[in-house]
Order: sequence, then C-alpha cells, then structure tokens
Amino acid sequence: MVRWVAGVRTSVYFKLLVAFLIVTALLLVMGAFSVHTVHSMSRQSELLDRTHQRVEWAQQIHHSLAMQMHLTAMALLVRDEAAIGSILRENNRFNEALARLELAVDDPDRAAIRRIRSGQEEAMAIVADIANLIRDGHFAEATKLHSSREDPLYRSIDSQVYQVVQRENAQMETLRRSLQEANQRSLIVMGAFAALSVLLALGGGFVISWALILPVHAAHAFLSDLAAGRFGASVTVANRDEFGELATQLSATSKELARLDAEQRRSAGDLAELNAKLQQASKAKSDFLANMSHELRTPLNAILGFTEMLKDGLYGPVAEDFREPLADIETNGKHLLHLINDVLDLSKIEAGRMELAVSEYSASEIVSTVRASLRSLADEKRLDFRAAVDDSLPEVMYGDAKRITQCLLNLASNALKFTRQGGVTIRAERHGDFVRYSVLDTGIGIPADQLEVLFTEFKQGDAAITREFGGTGLGLSITKKFVEMHGGRIWVESKLNEGSAFHFAIPLNAHIAAAA
Amino acid sequence: MKPKTILYVEDNEFNRKIVRQLLAQTNYRLREATDGEMGIAAAQQEPPDLILMDVQLPKITGLEATRRLRSDPRTATIPIIVITSYALSGDAQKAKDAGATGYLAKPYSPRDLLARIREILPEQ
Repeated sequence: MVRWVAGVRTSVYFKLLVAFLIVTALLLVMGAFSVHTVHSMSRQSELLDRTHQRVEWAQQIHHSLAMQMHLTAMALLVRDEAAIGSILRENNRFNEALARLELAVDDPDRAAIRRIRSGQEEAMAIVADIANLIRDGHFAEATKLHSSREDPLYRSIDSQVYQVVQRENAQMETLRRSLQEANQRSLIVMGAFAALSVLLALGGGFVISWALILPVHAAHAFLSDLAAGRFGASVTVANRDEFGELATQLSATSKELARLDAEQRRSAGDLAELNAKLQQASKAKSDFLANMSHELRTPLNAILGFTEMLKDGLYGPVAEDFREPLADIETNGKHLLHLINDVLDLSKIEAGRMELAVSEYSASEIVSTVRASLRSLADEKRLDFRAAVDDSLPEVMYGDAKRITQCLLNLASNALKFTRQGGVTIRAERHGDFVRYSVLDTGIGIPADQLEVLFTEFKQGDAAITREFGGTGLGLSITKKFVEMHGGRIWVESKLNEGSAFHFAIPLNAHIAAAA
Repeated sequence: MKPKTILYVEDNEFNRKIVRQLLAQTNYRLREATDGEMGIAAAQQEPPDLILMDVQLPKITGLEATRRLRSDPRTATIPIIVITSYALSGDAQKAKDAGATGYLAKPYSPRDLLARIREILPEQ
C-alpha cells in the first residue's frame, strides 16, 4: 500500500489533498446522515405528540361520559332537575373534545366518532326527557328511563370511546417503538461512520507518512555515504513525486561527485608525482649548489692561502710594488668567498634544509664580535662606530648565535658601507619578551619607494649604488630569513641623505618561540 | 730532538702544497695522503703526532676516517684537526662526534692553521 501510494505519479501536495478530501467527504456524509436522522426523528416525535394528544382527548371524553352518568344518577337521587344543568355543561366539554378528536383522527376512527356523537345526541335527548320527568315529579318514570335507556346507551358509547382510546394507545405504542428503533439504528450508523473515519484518517496518515518517510530514510542513508566519501552510489525510491525527482537529482549529483572525485584523485596523483619530481629537482639544485660551493671553495682556499703566505713573506721579502695588488687579490678573494657563502645559505634556506643551532648566547658577546670584526673598516673610513647593550637584557638568551651574529654583521657592514661621514651605532635593547638589535647610520638613506624591495633577493636600492658600494644583494634577504626562523621580524626606517635605522627583534628564548 | 710528524690527508694538490710550503719553514715533518683509505693506512703503519683531516675525501670521508682511527688502539689518542669546506652549522658538532680534537673551516688562513697546530702540538 505504502509502495503503491509512493509510486503514484503525482505530486505530494496532491496526495495529501486527496487523503484529506476522502476523510472530509466521509465526515460530510456522516453529517448529512445525522441531519436526516434528526429530521425524521423530530417528525416521528411530533406524530407521537399528536397521538398522545388524541389519547388525552379520548380519555377526557371517557371521563366526561362517566361524569354525565354520575350526574344523572345524582339528579335522580336528590330528585332535583338543577343537577341536570351540570350534565349539559359536561356535554359541552364532551362535544368540544370529540370535535377536536374528530379533526385529528384517521378515517376509520372518524366513523366511530360519528357513531359516538349520534349516540351522545340520543343520550342528551334522553337526559332532557329525564330532566322533564324529574321536574314534573315523575321520579319512578325518570328512574326507569335512566336504567332502561340512558344507562345502556352510555355504556355502549363508553365502550366505543374505549375502543378509540385503545386504538390510539396502540398507535402511540407502535410509534414509540419505531422511534426507539430509529434512534438505535442511527446511533449504530453514526458510530460506524465515526470509527470508519478515524480508521481511514489513521490509515491514510500512516500510508502517506511512510510514503514520505521511506524516501527521506533512503536519502539520509545515501547522504551519509556521500559524507563518508563513498561517491557514485545511487538512491532508489518507489516515489514518483517530488521525492522521486529529488532521488534522481541526488543520484545524478553522486555520479557527478564520483566523477569529480576520480578526476581530483587523478590530478592529485599527478600533482604528487610532479611535486616529488620538483622536490627531487629542488634537492638536486641544493646538492648542486652545495657541491659547487665546495668545488669553488677548494681552489679559493688555495688562492687565499698562497696570497697570505706571499704577504707574510714565506717566499721571501715582498717588493713594495707588489703589496697593493696582493692586498687586492686577498680582498677580492674574500669577497668571492662571501658571495659563495651567501648563495649557499640562501639555497639551503630555500630547500628548507637550513636549521638553527639554538643554544645559550649573550647579546653583549654578539655585539662585541661584530664590533671587533668591523672596527678596522670603520677606522679606515674615519667613522664613529659605537655599540650599546641594554643592561636589562638577560645574561643568557637562546638562539643561533652564529646566525644572529651574521645578521648583525650584515646590517652593520652595510651601514658602514653606505656611510661616508658621521657614524654607525649598534644597539641591543629589551622590548618585553624580545631583544631588539638596531643599527643606526648617518648614511645616504633609502628612498621610500625602494624600502619595500629591500629585503628581496638580488635587489639593491639602486643599480648605480651597487656599482659604487658593491655587495651581493643577498645579505638583507638572508638576514630577514634568519630573523624569521628565530620567530622575529625585521624592519627599516630611513630618510634620504640623513640616514637609516635597521631593526630586528627576536624572542629572548627563540627555541620556545619556535616550539610554540 | 726528533721532529714531530704531521699527517695531512687531502686530495687537492694545491692545498697540500700550501701546507707543505707552510711547514717547510718549521721543524715539523709532513707526511701526505690523498684519500681516506690511504690516510688510515698511513696513520696505522707509522702513527704521526698530529693528523690534519680534510672532510671531503674520495673513497672514505674524513669524518668516517676519523671515527675508524679513534676505534683503533694504535691511533686512538692522536690529535686530529678536521677541515671542512661546507660551512654548515652543525659541522663542528659532527666533527666533535666523530672524535676530532679540533675543527677548521675552509678557506682557512695558513697563519691560523699554523697557530692551531702549534697550540695542540708544540713545535719543540
């Protein structure tokens, strides 16, 4: 039944409407029947009322007749014709009731009533005779007339009235019984209707509900599968209504999802493959750079070694003219070494193979190392070179001392490089949980539009500056990466022709920040 | 007094030449080996007073050679200075783990190298 209802090719709205209409129609039929029943019962009870009335009248007639007989007997007893007057009054009442009865009864009774009336008229004539005899004092004759004529007449009338009463009573009884039966019948019919309506409403509700719930269950199970990532299944429901359409749509969606999933998996596989290849290529590049760096360093070691030994007079005294070119060879050799180191660092950072060697260090050690290694350059350029370390900094901090030194060295050597007069100041200060290293100079400054690209690889503020001041353009970018690996940040403030201030701030305990 | 012997394990001819010329001015006696295997063999045959061990060597790396020398009772106590041309952070630790006495990064200054040698192995 549920499947049949589900399979009916019409909308859910229409199905619900039909079910509702069936129940409503049943209720309407029940209502019409009850109106009809009430109507017929009221008619029958009206009939019953009328019959009841007739019985009453007939009884009144019967009573009147008895009174008349009684009054006649009284008049004879007291020998007073005045008592007869009362009989006349009683006669009026009798006639009145008889007239009403005659109007109300059916044909067979009407004939009986006519007979009663003629009997009564005859009785009245006899009563009049008796009254005359009493007035004239002929009591014996009056008594004789009474017992010989009036009394039998009254009895005959009385028996006729009695018959009418009997008939009316019987009719009333019949009516009462039929009314009772009708009442019982209508009760049964109404009860049956009510029970049928309830059953139909319940059954219809059940069938329609399940016709709607089953596809919802199916869709639910299906969607759970989808949510669990099992694409491609289809949902089948018996419904050929909106739920049927929904199921068709869901199945189509699932197929589309399965297709997309397969496609995505395929492309993910392709990507993974590509990624592996890229990683391999990247590793190959890093390995190449590391090897290259080694291969470059080995001859460079020889160049710098021989130069130093020449300078140190290991091969005998050095002619004055040779000193400068020897110093130039050494300077350029060291610069080349610096470049090689920067390229190696950067390639390792990019390959994600640069790791910090975090250990205890102190800011004052780093600052004095940097200052010591650059003092000769500052002296050469006759620049004021100062360093200040905040007392509030902890004695022991955690970080990669070698890399932090490299960062500060980069910034300070840049500052010295780009400053022609004035001075350079290195500072280490505490700012909350961070230590901030700053390098302030009175150099050429950096135009605002070039501040942004400053920390990008191979970018110097200006190509012309590169020619004048040298440098690889890698130092700041490496510095920025080391600072970020420490969980810190680097920034610069600068005014053209007034100077620049480079700052970097790293956590006092870098390994804690890195672990967090 | 018998001069102290230094064994230099290095595959590059020019770097060996530098050390050769550097030590020619001193009282140290230099022996040379050009790969890890030869270095180990030379050290075991006639244990020197000090070994300078390059890391990037053919056949056996300098770190592996150092480990092997340390596990051999004949050479276990000889001071070894490891020289590397990868300036990687952690290299010093690796050298120490392998059992090196000291560590020097390429390019080294001949002046500094001589100072380190004299520090570990006094000339007289």
